[in-house]
Amino acid sequence: MRADARPAVLAAIRSTPITVEEVAAFVGSPADGAVVTFAGVVRNHDGGRPVTALEYQAHPDAEQFLTEICARLAAESGLRVAATHRVGRLAIGEVALAAAVAAPHRAEAFAACAELVDRIKAEVPIWKRQRFAGGDSEWVGL
Amino acid sequence: MAELTVRYFAAAAEATGTEQETVELPEPALLGALQDLLVERYGDPMRRILRSGSFLVGGVVRRDRDHPVSGTVDVLPPFAGG
Repeated sequence: MRADARPAVLAAIRSTPITVEEVAAFVGSPADGAVVTFAGVVRNHDGGRPVTALEYQAHPDAEQFLTEICARLAAESGLRVAATHRVGRLAIGEVALAAAVAAPHRAEAFAACAELVDRIKAEVPIWKRQRFAGGDSEWVGL
Repeated sequence: MAELTVRYFAAAAEATGTEQETVELPEPALLGALQDLLVERYGDPMRRILRSGSFLVGGVVRRDRDHPVSGTVDVLPPFAGG
């Protein structure tokens, strides 16, 4: 039973550091026995080349897209959903995307969190440029 | 002629060297015609962007060439969030 009147979803895009703890804390409730989180982390290689940093850019409406994706999944699943995405220059190991879903049982939380991340990657207008060890860089996905 | 404001982001801003410009399309103005004009004007870099990219028209992501365009249209390179 849910007795709280908290907002249904948390969705934010910002240039300051993000954590999975924040989104996990948002979705968790006494009725939920499972909280699944995902951290999209900047890795030091891509396509066999050493990567030194990533730069993320978001469309001015990106946060609205992210909010709609979270709200739609929350409505479809009946679960609590949260996601934050960082923009700007990120170093190796920093979190670019934090997502969380809470559910009474783990199977539905795992499934919904995977779906959430897939939708965010496919539908939110965010772009990233990766910088390589040699000093050159490229936009990802072209 | 229909006058459009076209906004460019990320790789598209780099390919065009600008973040915004005005373009004219013959009526009825369709997305396909805008696509062709941009490829003609900016060549291979724009072709590569539009191959898997999209447009934002009236707040909705569109890819269909037959979709009518007016006002402001955003060129969206392939999304790479996460």
